[in-house]
Amino acid sequence: MDRLSSTFSALADPTRRAILARLALGETSVNEIAKPFDMSLPAVSKHLKVLEGAGLISRGRDAQWRPCKLEAAPLQDAANWIEYYRKFWEASFDRLDAYLQRLQAGGDDGDGSKPKKPKTKGKSDGRK
Amino acid sequence: MAASETTAQEFTVTRTFNAPRDVVWKAWTERKALEEWWGPKGCAIEVEALDVSAGGTFHYSMGMPDGTKWWGIFHYEEVVKPERIVFVNSFSNEAGEIARAPFSDNWPKQIRNVVTFHDEGGKTRIELRGRPVNVSAEEQAMFESMFGSMQQGFGGTFDQLDDYLATQR
Repeated sequence: MDRLSSTFSALADPTRRAILARLALGETSVNEIAKPFDMSLPAVSKHLKVLEGAGLISRGRDAQWRPCKLEAAPLQDAANWIEYYRKFWEASFDRLDAYLQRLQAGGDDGDGSKPKKPKTKGKSDGRK
Repeated sequence: MAASETTAQEFTVTRTFNAPRDVVWKAWTERKALEEWWGPKGCAIEVEALDVSAGGTFHYSMGMPDGTKWWGIFHYEEVVKPERIVFVNSFSNEAGEIARAPFSDNWPKQIRNVVTFHDEGGKTRIELRGRPVNVSAEEQAMFESMFGSMQQGFGGTFDQLDDYLATQR
C-alpha cells in the first residue's frame, strides 16, 4: 500500500478521525485519548497503531507515558492535491487570458504565425 | 467506477474570458495556443502530439526551470465543438504511458476533467470540473472524511484539526 492509501484507510474509520481531532488540541496520553470512547484500552491502542503506521501520529519513546502527537504532513499531502490542481489551473487560465487579450489586440493572429516575430519595420499595422 | 464517481471529491474552476467562444475554443484545441498558455508556471511546453477528438491525445513535455523534463498526456473522451471537452489528464513518460506525478506519490494518477464553454455575448465563461479517476475505496473514504465530515463539523472538532493544519502551512 502506498502512503496515500495507508493515509486514506487510516482515516476511513470514524474513531480514528475523532482521535486525530483530539490530538489536534495537543499531544496527550493513551488513557486521555480513550476517555471519551466506550472502548477498551487495547482497542484504542489498536487504532493508534494504525494511525502510527500511516504516519499520522507519532508516539513518545518514554515507556511509561508514550504521549501521542499529531503529524500533519500526510494529512496535508492527502488533502493538498486539489489545492495544487486548482492553483495550477488558475495560473494557466491567467496565461490563457493574457493570450486571448493579445489575440484580440491583433498582435498575434493565432493562426500559426510565430509568437515572437522580429519587430516589423515600416509598413506594419502600427500596433505595439 | 460509477460509485466512486458520485462521491469522490470534485473541484471546480470557473473563469470568464473576454473573447468569443470560437476563439477560446481554438485556444484549447490548437497546438500553438496550447503552447502559449497550458502548463505549470515557468515551464516551456512542447507539443509532442495533438489530436483533439474523442479517443485522441495531447501528449506534451514540460521543460522545467531547473532543466528537467516532465511529460504529460490528455486522453480526450468527448469533444463537442464549441461547447464541451472531456479529457483525462495525467503525467506520463516520453512514450505517452501514464505515470505517477514526478513530484509526489500522492498526486492522483488520473484526473477526469469536464470543460464547458459558455457563450456570454462575446465573452466566454469556462467551467472546469475535475475529479480523480479510478478512486479506491480508501481514497473515497478519505475524500468523504476530509471534505465531508470535516466541513460539516464532525462535532466541531474537525474545525480544530483544520485550524491546526492551517498553522502547519
